[in-house]
Amino acid sequence: MSFLSNPEASTSVPPLAAAADTLCRASVASHQVAVKRRHRTAQWHLLFIALFVLGPLVIYPLVRLVVLSLSGPRGIGLQAYAAFFGNPQTRGVIGTTLWILLASAGLASLLGVVLASLLFFKPFPGARIVTRFLELFVAFPSFLVAFTLIFLYGSQGSVSIGLQRLFHLHAPLDFLFGAGGVILAEVVFYAPFVVRPTLASFATLDMRLIEAARSLGASGWMVAFKVILPLAWPGIAAGTILCFLLTLNEFGILLVLGSAHLITLPVAIYSSATVDLDLPTAAAGAVVMLFLSLSLYALYRQVNSRAVKRSGS
Amino acid sequence: MNDELDRAVLPVMRVKARPVRRSMVARLFGGLVLGLAALLCVWLFVLPVVVVALSSAASHWSGTILPDGFSTRWFERLSSSDFDALTTSLEIGMGVAVLGTLLGLWLALALEGRDRRGLGAWIDTIAMMPNGVPSVVLGLAVLIAYHKRPVDLSSSAAIVVFVQLALVLPFCYRCAAAALRPELTVLREAAASLGAPASMVLRRIVLPQLVPAIRASLALGFALSLGELGATLTVYPPGFATVPIVVVGQVERGYYLPASALSLILLLVSLAALMLIAARVPRRRHD
Repeated sequence: MSFLSNPEASTSVPPLAAAADTLCRASVASHQVAVKRRHRTAQWHLLFIALFVLGPLVIYPLVRLVVLSLSGPRGIGLQAYAAFFGNPQTRGVIGTTLWILLASAGLASLLGVVLASLLFFKPFPGARIVTRFLELFVAFPSFLVAFTLIFLYGSQGSVSIGLQRLFHLHAPLDFLFGAGGVILAEVVFYAPFVVRPTLASFATLDMRLIEAARSLGASGWMVAFKVILPLAWPGIAAGTILCFLLTLNEFGILLVLGSAHLITLPVAIYSSATVDLDLPTAAAGAVVMLFLSLSLYALYRQVNSRAVKRSGS
Repeated sequence: MNDELDRAVLPVMRVKARPVRRSMVARLFGGLVLGLAALLCVWLFVLPVVVVALSSAASHWSGTILPDGFSTRWFERLSSSDFDALTTSLEIGMGVAVLGTLLGLWLALALEGRDRRGLGAWIDTIAMMPNGVPSVVLGLAVLIAYHKRPVDLSSSAAIVVFVQLALVLPFCYRCAAAALRPELTVLREAAASLGAPASMVLRRIVLPQLVPAIRASLALGFALSLGELGATLTVYPPGFATVPIVVVGQVERGYYLPASALSLILLLVSLAALMLIAARVPRRRHD
């Protein structure tokens, strides 16, 4: 205590202070060395993962796919692409894929956003059960949706028979095995994927803003379009892009309902790989599809990170 | 008593501040719209599930609105090959779930705090990439890479595990990464600064933190693997079949009712797996 009360006492022991100083410096230096070493170990660890886990699982197969699609009989060439797109069966395949995608993902997004706003802002009796149900929809394989629609809307299905009896129609409903059925199934299956992110972005809304707008006399439409939509937009955009991506990557529905009349990219790739056993041609189609999907996916990641950042701040 | 509803589950219900006087027509119209929306929800999303259950128990269902009669004969008639497919599906699903969870944990632990720049950002992007790759394309890529020497997996079930593992990896990685929240990192750093060796920190702090995420990732991996069709259909070796492959084959040949029975079993199994996730949904404690 007397040591503390007398400030000159500390200057009277310079060797001790100097020793403490060097000790402190040494500890800082050793700490820095340790940090650097830990950083380097972590980098090696990451490199190990990249080479031995992601390498064989993801990178190597995709590289092989691209290489195979580019290899012709004499070195590098685009023959496989010419073969894939020159095939009369698959001529308009990209156009078909894109319009099916636009129609079904557009409708699914619209339906999803409308449903989510109803569930959130005007919860009807049983809304909570519906929400829970939509969460469970993830576990429902997509081809099963297509399959159940056959029981409902197929030419012998219960809805078509019901309509037939109700309106005394003679021709049965026959739209399922084609574009109409594919779009219906994709809308049913992918609308829940829009509902969940939209609900999540509604949940981060500040309810006081809505109440304020209402108390200032804004009508329902005005609140929806001038307050809620601008605030919840990043989350809704992310959900919509995700819906487009998943719909583009869909395969089961197309296989069950569309493989006969409707040639889309996944079905064309699948059939040239497993029916024609022509891997280079299938690889050419797959590279085109990979490009489409990955550009959509990059967009999704960008929009989603922005949405997350905004809701976090 | 709207405001007595459980707020932790659904932060949706708001107390209506003031009753708004509206005309009878407007109220009727609003009610009608809500009713239609509820009907649409049930029609679009509940009906398909009901149909699977109903058709698997129907003795005959074609050309009528409701099934003619009910019987369990489709379940009794499931052949041994159907049960083989079910066993295969379960085995593959468990393998994929366990391996995917382990890899996801490893990735998340290795990338924690390093996924923003440099090598870490690249690895994060590559690990998430299968999320954006169509399953058929990934299946085709794996088939091309491993269908002949030097690595020939084309005749073994390993190639199916391989391709499904790549597909579920992003989900498992996300699950584990989401559980490593920064506020929990503090605990670990405290333990380490108190002198706990790294293995003890991992065992006593990190793994207990991650238990809910591990359960979720196992359940999700299992459910996704059970329902996976595109990639599996592209790579599966001869003599091998999972439930989705069998079901699609039966549907294409027009055997709808047996396919329903098999898919109902599949659905129940994956529902049981997802119940694990539901049990995991955080019960918010107020502490």
